Amino acid sequence: MEREVIQAELVLPNKLSFKRVQMNDKYPKGQPRGRWKHLKQIIQAENYQNYPPDEPNYVNIESPPSMHPCKRICDITGYEAPYYDPRTNLRYANTEIFKQIRSLPNEYVQRYLALRNAAVVLK
Amino acid sequence: MPFISKIERQTDYRRFPSSTPIVIDNGASYFRIGWAGEPEPRVIFRNIVQRPRHKVTGETVTIVGDHDVTLLRYFDCTRSGPRSAFDNNVVYQFEIMEYILDFAFDRLGADGSRIDHPILITECVCNPFQSRSKMAELLFDTYGVPSIAYGVDAAFSYKYNQHHGVCDKDGLAICPGFMTTHVIPFIDGEPEYKGCCRTNIGGYHVTDYLKQLLSLKYPHHMARFTWEKVEDLKMEHCYIAPDYMSEARLFQNGTEEAEDKTRSWQLPWVPPPTEEPPSEEEIARKAAIKEKQGQRLREMAEAKRSSRINELENESHGLEFLLKQLEQVEEHDIRSFLSATGYVSRKEVESALVKVTQSLLKAKGEQAEFEEKPDAERFHLLNKPDHECTPDELKLKKRQVFLKSTSEGRQRAKQKRHEEELERERRNQQDEQRRSKNPELYKEQLLAKYKDLSEKVEQRKRFKTNGGQTNGNNFSGNVGRGERLNAAQRERMRLLTTAAFDRGKGEDTFGARDEDWQLYKLMSKDNDDDDEGPDADEAELTRLSSRLREVDPTFVPRSDNGNSQAVEAPRVRPLTEEDFRIDFGVERFRCPEILFRPNWIGIDQAGLDEMAGVSLRRLPSKGTELAERLTSSIFLTGGSSLFPGMSERLEAGIRMITPCGSPIRVVKALNPVLDAWRGASAYAASPQFPAQTFSKQDYHEKGEDIVRRYEFQYHIL
Repeated sequence: MEREVIQAELVLPNKLSFKRVQMNDKYPKGQPRGRWKHLKQIIQAENYQNYPPDEPNYVNIESPPSMHPCKRICDITGYEAPYYDPRTNLRYANTEIFKQIRSLPNEYVQRYLALRNAAVVLK
Repeated sequence: MPFISKIERQTDYRRFPSSTPIVIDNGASYFRIGWAGEPEPRVIFRNIVQRPRHKVTGETVTIVGDHDVTLLRYFDCTRSGPRSAFDNNVVYQFEIMEYILDFAFDRLGADGSRIDHPILITECVCNPFQSRSKMAELLFDTYGVPSIAYGVDAAFSYKYNQHHGVCDKDGLAICPGFMTTHVIPFIDGEPEYKGCCRTNIGGYHVTDYLKQLLSLKYPHHMARFTWEKVEDLKMEHCYIAPDYMSEARLFQNGTEEAEDKTRSWQLPWVPPPTEEPPSEEEIARKAAIKEKQGQRLREMAEAKRSSRINELENESHGLEFLLKQLEQVEEHDIRSFLSATGYVSRKEVESALVKVTQSLLKAKGEQAEFEEKPDAERFHLLNKPDHECTPDELKLKKRQVFLKSTSEGRQRAKQKRHEEELERERRNQQDEQRRSKNPELYKEQLLAKYKDLSEKVEQRKRFKTNGGQTNGNNFSGNVGRGERLNAAQRERMRLLTTAAFDRGKGEDTFGARDEDWQLYKLMSKDNDDDDEGPDADEAELTRLSSRLREVDPTFVPRSDNGNSQAVEAPRVRPLTEEDFRIDFGVERFRCPEILFRPNWIGIDQAGLDEMAGVSLRRLPSKGTELAERLTSSIFLTGGSSLFPGMSERLEAGIRMITPCGSPIRVVKALNPVLDAWRGASAYAASPQFPAQTFSKQDYHEKGEDIVRRYEFQYHIL
């Protein structure tokens, strides 16, 4: 290990005195490390529907969809955009931007749409 | 100003007795740990872990937090990106959590066989039971902690500020964090979780949005927009506009105010070294060198030529000598005499001599007298009718006929070329005349012609490559076979398939009859015609464009595959400084705006101002005066609340929701980032704290119920 790396104490040491079980013993090398449940699975396992609905729990307190009318902005510049291009589904504010949109390669079109979570994802 | 990490190893661990709790603020962005009762956390670092491989030794090491990038070059970081223990705002990856805790305790100076202090650790609102219990398990079993307490960071922050008089006993805490934003009403000093509201948008999404926008706007500099850099940019430059649409209109109209608000970031750029016009001496020197080289070449050529002349002369001398000798020798001895030299008869020797003299003359540069027999003699047999010639002469005559026709053809071709040249000259002269007479009109006409022609060519090309079915974004390549065919080729395919197909049950009898092959005659004719047509047009096009380039200095030929590289500006001018300058005007306030409008990212939830309304509605005990009390003390905390202009925007937003005339007061935390830790520290230092914790025995005795029902009581302060 290079000296400056050791001096900077970049790396976590393998053995720490205050631990009862060291990392290497808990997760032995070479064996697949445990699969951790993601949030979705945790929530599913919690079975929140069994609990009374007026008690707050992780799922309850999530906010509902927005009631305000959605303000539409141009995907490329951010100005107000009353129009959208039927071919690519991008929103644009005026004709110059429209020209730019029409000359964009497909990859960029999809990325702009993905920003808005409106891209078509083919699985 | 960006957050700074403090990771110095602390040395006074032993100073603290076993009863002093350790306070941990476990946030999705930063991890803060310190001792209870102190105003500042001891150790702060970014809550991520990397496990790269060391390049030399090959072992996998663990690096916690963000570190000096230069040191990381010893490690191969390609397969290990930074990983976080959080999913949304819940801890789910306890292995990573363990690494982080290891690091934190280590830097706090911990030694001894276990961590012998009670721990107060923050969690998210309504943390799922599994996450809580796994955390308890980790702390109890691996670290030997005696007792644990959980708390909500926003609540700690609120109580701390309440203690300092910033907000009242009843109020609304709005906490935009890293991954989520919470709104929690406080009634009588306790958080009322029933009215709590959470949207899954936070600083992470703002940074990500900014990063994507900049990458799309400046695709060349995409490598420059790293996460850390973009986060820095966000913290320095982003602000929240009081009214998005009017700001956007300012920028759209290009007013001076908009110019002021645009910030630009100049990337380092070195102008290409300008080539100075070479000085006089340079030119003279280069010319001299060229001269010398030319001279050398000429000398070499000379030498070669003279040597060849010598050779030829020698040969001719030898041949002449041979001839002379031949004259002296008798007829029948010729053959034997000549066999030594390799010639068969005297005629051959003579013809060889002639050839050699000719080449000698040519080498000497004199005009070789081409012994071209006059036409009459060469083609003398042509006029003789067939039946009068001998068989030999007939053969000769055929050859002469052939020769004559070819030479005539050659002459005709030369004539035609000559005429064409004349024609072109004439046309050029006419052009020049027209141009000198009226340059503007000439230019316009040329331009119009060029445009028409290029349209035609492009259209034909487009038609050829795809039958107009794409969305107008033509990109070359990836074109299926069927689309590349034009009408003639399609016809050809059709003919072939019909021929191959309708020939009886499964057997291919195409070609058994002679008429079948006539099919090919039909096809090839069509093909040739179509392929040649565009070429004439394209030749014309290139001619026009070159002419235009001469005439008009501002003309730029329209590239016909301008679609493939359309994102770059056409590189007809060299890269200037401007290309390396990154401007952001609209992005400055467009990105934080998503906190108020998550729809712009595609997250279908309420924004900050709406959330306050939702929270008020969800409260079990309703009443206008309760609502009024709540809105008169709206408390803003959390890392993402540092955007300038947030309080005004929130106030305006909430005013829209609440009944007219109700008092609205938005207050900011004293230090939105650190207040959560400070509040927790104050709580841990209070004497009632031990009653709030649960220990390992409790955990084992009462089982998981205690963990499920655990709730921190905040009114003890």
